[in-house]
This record gives sequence, C-alpha cells and structure tokens, in this order.
Amino acid sequence: MPEHDVLVIGAGLAGQRAALAAAERGVSVGIISKVHPIRSHSNAAQGGINAALAVDDTWESHAFDTVKGSDYLGDQDAIEVMCREAPDELLHLEHIGVTFHRNEKGELGTRAFGGASKARTYYVADITGQAIMHTLYEQLMKYADQIDRYEEWFTTDLAIDDEGHCVGAITRNILDGSTELFRAKSVILASGGNGQIWHPTTNALICTGDGIAMAYRAGATLMDMEMIQYHPTTLAGKGFLITEGARGEGAHLLNAKGERFMETYAPNKMELASRDVVSRAEQTEINEGRGFPDGTVALDITVVPRKRIQEALREIVLVGRDFAGVDITREPIHIKPGNHYTMGGVKTDVWGRTNVPGLYAAGEVACVSVHGGNRLGANSLLDTLIFGRRSGEDGADHAKGRGQGSVPRSALADAEAAVEEIIGRAHDGGRRVSEIKAELGATMDGKVAVFRDEEGIQSALDAVRRLKEEAAGAAIDDRGSVFNQDVLGAIELQNMLEQAEAVCMAALERKESRGAQYRTDYPERNDEEWLKHIDVSRNGGEPEISYSPVTITDWQPEERTY
Amino acid sequence: MASYTLKVRRYQPEAEEDGRRGAYWETFDVELDPTLSVLDGLLQARDGSDGTLSVRCSCRAAICGSCGMKINGQSTLACKTRIGEAAAEAARISGADASGPLISPPAEKELADGDGAPGPGTESAGNEPIVIEPMGNQPVIKDLVTDMESTHWKKFRRVTPWLLPSGPPPEREHIVPPESMVDVTQSVACIQCGACVSACLSMEADPEFIGPAALAKAYRFVGDPRDGQTTERLYDLANDPHGIYDCTHCFACVDVCPKGVAPMNQIMRLRRLAGHDHDIHDVNNGRNHELGFVKIIERKGTLDESLLLQESYAPGVKGKLLPRAASIKGLLQSIPTAIRGIRTGKMRSLPKLIPGVHPKLPGDAQDHVKAIYDRAEESRIQLNLYVIGEGGEEDQAAEAVEPESVSEEPSAT
Amino acid sequence: MKLAYWPGCVSRGFTTELHGSMALTAEALGIELVTLDRANCCGAGVIAEHNQELADTLNARTFALAQQTGLSMMNICSTCQGAQSECQERLDADAAYRAHINESLSGEGLEYRKDADGFTNKNFLWLLVEDYGLDELAGKVKRPLSGLRVGPFYGCYVLRPKTRLGYDEHPDRDLYLERVIEVLGGEIVDYDGARRCCGFPVITMNRETSLRQTGTHVGDALDAGADCLVTPCPLCHLNLDMQQPEAAKVVGRDLGLAVLHLPQLVGLALGFEPGQLGMPKHIASTVAVEDRIAALA
Repeated sequence: MPEHDVLVIGAGLAGQRAALAAAERGVSVGIISKVHPIRSHSNAAQGGINAALAVDDTWESHAFDTVKGSDYLGDQDAIEVMCREAPDELLHLEHIGVTFHRNEKGELGTRAFGGASKARTYYVADITGQAIMHTLYEQLMKYADQIDRYEEWFTTDLAIDDEGHCVGAITRNILDGSTELFRAKSVILASGGNGQIWHPTTNALICTGDGIAMAYRAGATLMDMEMIQYHPTTLAGKGFLITEGARGEGAHLLNAKGERFMETYAPNKMELASRDVVSRAEQTEINEGRGFPDGTVALDITVVPRKRIQEALREIVLVGRDFAGVDITREPIHIKPGNHYTMGGVKTDVWGRTNVPGLYAAGEVACVSVHGGNRLGANSLLDTLIFGRRSGEDGADHAKGRGQGSVPRSALADAEAAVEEIIGRAHDGGRRVSEIKAELGATMDGKVAVFRDEEGIQSALDAVRRLKEEAAGAAIDDRGSVFNQDVLGAIELQNMLEQAEAVCMAALERKESRGAQYRTDYPERNDEEWLKHIDVSRNGGEPEISYSPVTITDWQPEERTY
Repeated sequence: MASYTLKVRRYQPEAEEDGRRGAYWETFDVELDPTLSVLDGLLQARDGSDGTLSVRCSCRAAICGSCGMKINGQSTLACKTRIGEAAAEAARISGADASGPLISPPAEKELADGDGAPGPGTESAGNEPIVIEPMGNQPVIKDLVTDMESTHWKKFRRVTPWLLPSGPPPEREHIVPPESMVDVTQSVACIQCGACVSACLSMEADPEFIGPAALAKAYRFVGDPRDGQTTERLYDLANDPHGIYDCTHCFACVDVCPKGVAPMNQIMRLRRLAGHDHDIHDVNNGRNHELGFVKIIERKGTLDESLLLQESYAPGVKGKLLPRAASIKGLLQSIPTAIRGIRTGKMRSLPKLIPGVHPKLPGDAQDHVKAIYDRAEESRIQLNLYVIGEGGEEDQAAEAVEPESVSEEPSAT
Repeated sequence: MKLAYWPGCVSRGFTTELHGSMALTAEALGIELVTLDRANCCGAGVIAEHNQELADTLNARTFALAQQTGLSMMNICSTCQGAQSECQERLDADAAYRAHINESLSGEGLEYRKDADGFTNKNFLWLLVEDYGLDELAGKVKRPLSGLRVGPFYGCYVLRPKTRLGYDEHPDRDLYLERVIEVLGGEIVDYDGARRCCGFPVITMNRETSLRQTGTHVGDALDAGADCLVTPCPLCHLNLDMQQPEAAKVVGRDLGLAVLHLPQLVGLALGFEPGQLGMPKHIASTVAVEDRIAALA
C-alpha cells in the first residue's frame, strides 16, 4: 500500500507544480497520472501566460482585465492573488529553464492577447504549455528522490474516512490491471477539464473530467459548471485549436463577404475582445448567413509578416498544413467557435482547499473562481501554476504533523468490484460506449454551447439522464488485465455523464446571460438576481443546486464593452 | 468517405486462443474521409468493433506524442498521418516489395497470420492495406502499446535533463541573445513521441545507444546559455561509448520526426561543440577522426583513407611516437582488412597504403582549397535553418506580395 | 548526354574499380563525362560536423566548378549526394550567406549561382532513371542478368531526409534500385537491409555498432537468397565488402556475399566482363556472380 504525505492526482501543469511545491517543503510526494505526464493536455496551451511583469504594467490592471473578462463572476480576492503572484511565478519558470521569447535586448518579450489592456502574454513560440510542462517534468526528474511518479495509473475514486476526510485514492495500474489504495495526508486533484463531454472539442481524449466527477461523488461542491468556454478559432469538424496568439499577432476575422465583422461587435478591441464576445460574434455571422457554406468564418493570418509567423506561430502552420490542408501563411483558414475550457469545477478557496477536508483541487479541475463567466486567454496556464503551487504548499503544511488516516477496509474491495462489474457485463445488444459518448457530445454541442435556451438545455438534461442509465449497463470487449483501455473508457463515460448533468442543471438555473452563458430567452445580464455562483453538490446521490456569493473587492460591476 | 483496410500487427499478452498467442496480423475495414487520420481509422475499428485493440492516444493533434507507431514501415504519429495518403503510400510501395513496408522490422518474418487475416503479399487488389505496427526498438506491451520506459525514458534521465545554472538566479530574468532561445526551442519542440527512437538504425545495432531523442534533449541544455555545466555535459556525452559518437549519421530520426526537431542535427552540433569548441579528446576517437579528416582535405583536397585511419587512431607525430593503448588496438584491428586489400589488388599499388603518397589536386587548386580553409576557419558562420526559417529567401520574396483576399470557395477544413 | 562528373574521393582511393567501371559504363551508355578534377572532397558530413561554413564553401566550390562547364553534375556516391545536398540547401536558403560564401570563391574566379539554368546534382542512380530513362537503358542491355538475384542497398544519403533530397518532386527515389535491377533483367531480392545503414560512419568510433550493422544486412540478404548486393555508395561498399570478414566475426556467422557498385551491375548487363569491371578487386568473393554471368553467355 503506497503511502505519501501528499498525493497529487493528475500530472499536467497544476499537478506537477503542486508536487514540486510540496517537495520543496520537505514532504514525501506521490504523483499519479492516467497518461505519462508528458502526454497531459497542458501541452496544448499554445499562446502564452499572462503576467504584469513589465515595468509599465501593474497587477491591478491585469486583475481588472480578468474581472471584466469574467463578466464580474470571478471572485476578486482570488483574482488579486493570481495577478499579484504572476510575475514571480513567471520569473521562477524562466529561472528553471523555460525558453521564453526574448526581445532584442535579450529580455523577456510579450505578445498581445484577447481582453487584455496591455501586451502581457509571455510565450515560447506557440508551444508555451508544452515548453513549461516539459520544464516542470525536468524538475520532477531533479526531485526524483522525493517525488514518486506513478505514470499510467488510473484513479477511480477518492478514499474518504468515516469523518468525511479525504485520506487517499484508489488507483488502477493500467499496465497490469492491479488496484492499489494510496494513502495520503493531503490529496490534490489536478486532473484537468472535461471537454470530451462535447464533440467536437479542442480537448484531448483524456479530458474527461475524472477528478471533477470523483470529487463530486466524494461530497465536494462544484461551482460555475454552466460556464463553458467556446474558443473563437477552432477547425471545423475536428475541433483543433488555432491559438489566440494568431489574433494577438494581428490576424483578422473575416466573414464570407470578406468583411472584418468584429467592427460591429467590438469596435475598440476588434479581434482581441474577450473570447465569449468573439465566439458569439462569429456564431451570429454564421447563423445569419454571412459565414461559409461549411458553417465557418475565416481567420486571415496572411496579414501577419511571414517571418513573424515562422518565429511565433510555427505550430499552427503545422496544424493548418497537417489537419486542414491549408498553408496559413498564404490563405485564410476556416474556423468556428468550438468547445475549449470549463471555467467551473471543484469549488476551492485561494489555497486550493475544497469543502472536503484533506482534499485540494488546482487547475482546470478546480473553480477558485478566477475565470468566472469567461476566462481570458493566457490566464489558464497562470491559474494552473499559481494555484497548483499554493495547493502544494498548503497540502504539505496540512500533511505535516498528521498521521495517515484510516481507510474503511471495504473501500478497495468495493472499487475493484465496480471495475470487475463493468468488465463482466454481457453483450445484450445494447449500444457501445462509443455510441453513447457520441450522442452525449453531439447533444451538448447542440444544446449547451454558444447560444442556449430553456427548451434546449432541458432536452439535453433529459438526454443525459437517459444516457446515464444506458451507460450503466453498456458492455465492453476487453476482458483482460493488461492495458485494458476499454474498461477505462466505460468509467470515463460514467464520469462525463455525471458532470454533464451538473452542467445542464446549472445552465438551466442561471436565467440570465453572462460570460459564456448566453441565454437567448434571457439575453441580458441581471446583476440584481444573478451576480452569484451556482453550486451543485450531491447529498446522498441526487444533485442539488445552491448559491454562493461573488467576492467583490475593488471593482463594481459595470457594463462590459470591448 | 472511402473504404480502407488497416492491417494491424497485434499482440494480446493474455490471449488464450491459438493464433492469438504471440504476434499476429489482423485486418480491419474502416470507412472515413481521406483527410482524416490513420488514428481516426484505428479508433473507428476500436470503438466500432474491437475494444481490445490497444493504442495510446490523446490529443489527436500531434502535440501529446502518444500515438507513435509504424505506418507502412515509417515511424510516425498516427494522428498526423492522413489515411488517404497512407493508403496511397501503401499502394506505391507494394509494387516494389511484396511484404509492404520499405523498412520492415526484423521480427516480421516470424509472425503468424491470424484467423482470416491475409498475410503479407496476399491482400486484395485495389485496396492495398495500410500496414500498421508498433514502434521499433521497443518491447511491445500490447498491440500498438510499447514500453518506452526501458528504451527511452531511462536514457532521457541519463542526460541529466534539467537546467544546471551557473549561479544563483538573477533578480529578474536571465538576459540572453534572442536567437539562442529560438535555437534551443527546436529541441524543446520535441514531444517525446519516440518515433525517432523507433526508427534509429544505430539503436538497432546497439540497444544501449543513448539515442536521438535523449541526445536532442541533451543539446537543449548544452545550447542554453543559462546552463553552467556545458563542458561537463559534453565531456560525458563524448566519452560514453553509447553517446554522441555512436550515431551512424543515417538521418532516420530527421526523416521521421513529426515536429522538425532534427535530432541528428543536434547530435552533430554536440559533436561540433565537444570537438572543436571544447577540444575534448574522447576515448571513442571522435575528435581525432574529425580532426584527421579535416586536416587531410586541407592538405590534399580529397580524402586519403590510409592517412585517415592513422590520424583517427594515432593523430600527429606525438600520436605515432607515443600511441595510447586504444590507438594501438584500433590500428591493429584495421590491419587484417588492409592485408586482404593487398591480396585482392584493391590496394594493389603499395603507395595506397603509405600515408602521404595520395595525390594533391592539380595546379593551384589546392591553394584555393587552403584559402577557403583560412577564411572559413576564421569566420565559422553557422546558418541555422530553424532560426531563419526554411526556404527563408522565398519568404522574403513573398513579403512583398499583397496577401490574397478571402476566396469564395471554402478551404478544405 | 553530357555531364560534369564528380567521382568523389573513394572511387579514386580504396574503390578504384568503381571509377573504372563507371568510365566503361558511361561510354557504353553514350554518356559523356567531364571530370571535375579540380574539385574537392564533399566532407562526408564530417567537415560540416567540424565547421559548417567550411563544408558549405568547399561544396559551393565544387558546384561552381560544375556550373562553369555549363553542365549539370553527376556523382557516384550516395554520401557525396547527401553531404552536397545538405550544403546546397543552406546555400540556397539565404542570399546574404550565399554572397559571403561566394566571396571565398572569388579568388579562383568562381561563383555558385542558385537555380542556375536548371543546374542539378544527381547521383548516377537518379540520373539513370530520371534523365537517361529506363527505356533507353533497357535498349542498351546486351546480356539480361536472368537469374541473378540482387539485393538493393541504397545508402542512407540518397534516402533521407526526404525533404532535402527532392522526394517531393521525385517520390519514388527510394524504389529506383529495384527498377534498375528489373530493367537489367535481374531478380530483386527482398530483404530487411535495403534501406538501412551500413554502419560505415562509425567504423573508427564504434567498430562493434558499425560491423554489427553490416554483418546483419549481409546476413539477411544471404538468408533471402541473394547472389549479390548492389549499391550506389562506395562508402557502403567499404563496410559491406571490405569489412565483411570482420563483420562476420561480430555477428558470429559465415558471410561471403559479393557487393557490386551500381556501374558494375549495369556494366555486366551491357556485356562487360567481371574482370573488366574490376570485380576481382573486391574482398568478398564475386565468384558466384561471375559463375552466373558465365552461365548466361
């Protein structure tokens, strides 16, 4: 039975940062990931990371942009923490080796990003997430004596003791199918977002929100689950991401008539308005017949100097060439809004603590909430690092001076039995896991996307509940122990359906339009009634809605224009 | 939509049926748009008909590095390989080589054919199967899932893969030349997918070779002006018998890398730094070989192989007067080969064996070669195509051209 | 057909039979070769490893000498092809760099011009297929090599990296040896080594790795029933042929397989005798091949 002071579940940016921060405080750390850490989805963050580091920039300016971007749903105390600590975190990354872009003087250089009043996005070409994550993985190698890595282990559930404290996790070794109960004094969830609930999505196949689901089952409160970001520039069909950095470098959005339509929607910031605004503008153009026949508008990167593209947008040149057959340096590429990010997640305080004692959450799995109704580009990497580090630090402090908790004896056996039940299901002519997942993805993308209304959300919720029942009996093919991905797929589907239900309930509940939630039946923001978070929790099985206040420090809600 | 046949080399470690024990071939028919990927095809097979088919995959966009495998013998990412193009390639090479892949794994000939699965050379006409195998140089765990820990990650850790700064961190950022960050970003762009490890022809012969991906990682630190252990790193890599001088310069890694990392180029830069810049005389004769070669051309314009052998093992006058044990061993090892050469008349004229008798270039040509040496050894410009951008000149020309307006026709998205 | 001809160093050093057989074969094919006797070594990648600018300048000089003749250039060595193409890629990428390099050549009155009048530098193998033509070659065959089982061995430098070696324009360059063998009437032997590395570049640095590669490929070809290998690269020849007895010790089996230079194989089909083509100079016995040829007569 592996034991650690701090156990981190998930090994993307937030998880690796948490593990390193805990190790620096001298405790023993285990880090578990269902894929090799280097495969984590933080890789996919292309554009950069925000920090008010320049001498003429201030953290307050960054904070205000973030508050405004969130459509005033972000908690301002948390936003202040994030923005104030950003410059030191960025310098730390530079010191451990991230190869950030330099200006001609050899200093850190920036690019412009959406919703920001200053160019404060630091970057490594358009592979910023990859570059930072690989650097953190290097540090994991450096701290190998203190940090044990469990690569390709799938966590099925958290271990909760009789007092409701989180005391570990139950995890399946994918390589041989064995199950272990990991004991820990602090458990940090850093297992990422849930984009796979939608189809198409920019998210990787692993982004099934397992951590959100297992925390939810363990009694943790979820918050802002209705706030789902649709990124303005994704490839139709496959959903691949074209970085906002492209617009940061000056690329234009054009409708089929060749008009720069953002003039109508955001005359000041144009293409660099916040993402919810740009995505809605695009979808409006498409819905009103000014898009291309394939349901897209165009992103014209040819206006960016070629040398600059070569230096700063290398990766998306490859994405265009390999996945769309388009040379973006020579012709516009067709794009549309696509599922990208969940602002919501497991509710935490500014130290990553959830309402379950001993359980922390950081990164996309968590909702602090620094993003509120809409996340600004290049704030997600920052979120993972700041709150990953803070969770690691506080998790380490929490672990010091405590003994290991006691885990109910039945926990491991119950978890193993649940997996065996799936493996043992007989084929009875029912649909396959993949078919259920496909219906879920299409339903959510159709009804819980850029524009929503009560009828659509309700029909999605009904569908999700039906699919939940169906998934509970879906049979799989692989009966083996070694690398049984089939059974993992079935577990992930259950996890996704639980979250989808919470998303639909929250979206139905919020009867206004704010940030990513745009209700055509309630098109206005309504601060009187809805300047509050929607929480979802499960007590004894059934999901329940409640509310919590938005923390406001310095910035009172104002009308939001770009 | 089009139909494709995927011929997958499978291995189910827990299989009980005969014909499913050990590795076997199985074909899957899939239907999808030609612009979709081979990974999409595999997922269609897995999701639609056989959930036991195992393949690592995640991002589908050539960024996570999970789905390395061999497609038609070429190591690559399945998500980055369009299925229509893979089918065309399968058809192209089938004409020349009945077994399909141009570089097939040595193990293939021992494979049994599974039930109903056509074996090599028996596929139906018109729809040449796309041959899909797990990566090479790595033990197979199950189907297309290989063990990268023992073959790659171990070596990744071998190169001390973290920055070792020379002093305490500065108050703000390190000030470094902007190009230096772009330069090492070529190695940073590596997604550790293992395609180069799979294709590495040195590693086939020497499984202990540190390998292209790990050595590219090593360059990422050696080339970083913030690292303070450059000499130590180079000394280590040059003297390891499985280090930078164990690369056979075959370009296989350069060819297969999905991210343009060009691992072999990084290895050659490590050699240049170890040899020329740090003058590390390694136990593998790498530095001696390089210097010997360079000197001979400076003096003669063309290569004198006999002289090169001597210079590689026992360089200069000092090397010949006071040869090291390794030099003597190397020279002795080359003697049987030389004697055979004399016997067949290959080196029939004795002068061929006497270093220094090799002719010089005619007329004043050698003087001009020497002049080139003098200038190039002085300036030593290193044009980095990654930094300036390949086809850089074409780019500059295109700058002047007005960008095209949006076409009415949708792009192929 | 008239070409500027760069024979390379090895064909005039350890493998003089290559130089000789190329001369005979070219004449019989009606290809006129203008030897670039003032040209210098390509550097084989080793000089580039030492000093990139030096390698680029040396090869720019060779190209300039060829361009001075007004002819396109032919080489008979995969390694020359690879090393020269690598330098040419850099020379062509940047005008300022090219100007700098050309300054070094100006003392000799030379200049390398990018894209000069369709100037190309091709290995004999590529030239044979793309410019001379397989039909033309077929017409010249006097003695089809019926029953001769030939394993192709390309050499890395005409195969990889594809982006640099013109595969966009000529995607089948990795199949040309098979096509030539077929046109000459030989039988293609399918074995694993055809597109692998001979190991030569590390023979002085890691003898074991080097000889294991050579031994493995020769062994695989023997197992597949080959009478001989054919290669467009004399450096591969050095390892596959000259080092074959040493490679046999490393892989722990008997070898003994003739390794022909491409012009020798073509020459045999054109009616030349093994002795004329210098085959007795090989280390690995060519007797099996000679017997087959004798039987054809």
